[in-house]
Amino acid sequence: MKQEEFLTELEDILQREDSCKVEDNIEDYDEWDSLSKMALMAFYDKQFGIKISLSQLSELKTVSDLIELAGENIQ
Amino acid sequence: MFSKFQHVKIKGMSTVVPEKEINIYDEAKYYGNNIKKIDRMRKIVGFHKRRVVEEGTTASDLCINAADILIKEMKLDRNQIDAIIFVVQRPDHSSPANAYYIHNKLGLSENCIAFDIRQGCTGWVYGLYTAGSLIESKAVKNVLLLAGDTPSSGVDPADRNVAPVFGDGGSATFLEYCSDEINDSYFNITVKSEGYEAIIKPASGYRLPFLYNEKDKELTEWLTTPTGNKERLVDLHLDGIAVFNFTMNCVPPNIEELIEYSKINKEDIDYLMLHQANKQIVQTISSRVGFNDEKAPYFSFEALGNQSICSIPTAISFNIKDKVQENKNKILCCGFGNGLAVASCVLNLDKIYCSGIRNYKPDENHKSREEYIDYWKKKIKGE
Repeated sequence: MKQEEFLTELEDILQREDSCKVEDNIEDYDEWDSLSKMALMAFYDKQFGIKISLSQLSELKTVSDLIELAGENIQ
Repeated sequence: MFSKFQHVKIKGMSTVVPEKEINIYDEAKYYGNNIKKIDRMRKIVGFHKRRVVEEGTTASDLCINAADILIKEMKLDRNQIDAIIFVVQRPDHSSPANAYYIHNKLGLSENCIAFDIRQGCTGWVYGLYTAGSLIESKAVKNVLLLAGDTPSSGVDPADRNVAPVFGDGGSATFLEYCSDEINDSYFNITVKSEGYEAIIKPASGYRLPFLYNEKDKELTEWLTTPTGNKERLVDLHLDGIAVFNFTMNCVPPNIEELIEYSKINKEDIDYLMLHQANKQIVQTISSRVGFNDEKAPYFSFEALGNQSICSIPTAISFNIKDKVQENKNKILCCGFGNGLAVASCVLNLDKIYCSGIRNYKPDENHKSREEYIDYWKKKIKGE
């Protein structure tokens, strides 16, 4: 998956009206709540076959950290 | 635990839900009128509509209604029913077994045994397993399995951790011994009892009983959870993250193991009917074990809520009523939840009777809370 595609997916999961940028601080998003984290866990599992935990997600600071979690799956 | 039955056949099933519907969009006040937040919940976890009982209606009422429909429409002979099993978590009384009340209401024979099983979201599969064991051993021939729950009862509408999730429902399933055909069914039950505190009502039995004095206040004192939710010891405590982790780690392997044990090709399984915990959980599990939305529907969750014990019969009645009436279907059912436990089975639903989803109709003798209190006061005073 391309980075731009992932950002669009992320906007959709968070249902954000503003666009998501790689350098954004994810903790600043109003939508960064347990609901979004659960949805992301499901998305990573389904899309990339990667199991991430809620505590892993809670430690993230930026969108870039989130992309890093997917490893080579996001180019 | 793996088991195989060769002589047990499901002949019919019926499902009843209360008429009263709650729509999450009518509850915007609990979300600070933030419609966008509700839209997100609708999309991600599938919160939308749920059916809940009026005060004074219990799981036994819903199940008796479902049993009446089944008996009448299948033209069953009440005297031929050898066992009635009631799977319930919220019985009418803690004693005697609720199945006796139902046995009496349905006018069953004195040779028909009656007992309760106390299980949560695994309940319908546990019930089939117990009924199947009785039939396979030839102890009995015909079993009426009732499985229902009213998880909405006693829940404060402001409890957003619990209230929007659950809906109420009752089901009846008729099983019989069959000798003349190949009708294998397979079961796999996994118990993860270390998680028994993840879904629990701490003060709901005799561990923390009401003492009918000042000390009872401790049981009803409001406590604030780390997420800001309000909860009492008498309320259902749901550790969402522990349950989510258990579900993701334990349900897919249980299903895969069952498929392997049964030696059935995955492609030959027509439907995966999962406990309707919520839309996202159903979608994630089904995609992990290789089933799409059409084969593993979550639609009854959105329309009726998570009905706990009743959610699998409801999912079958809601999504594939015509299919199970007209054709032979191989169906994998999986319940998971409090215990913690996972119970799954592969069944043949071959041209069975299926009522679809019916609305609950109270019988004419139904008593309100006040009428019941009055009834018992008079009885005790010998009036």
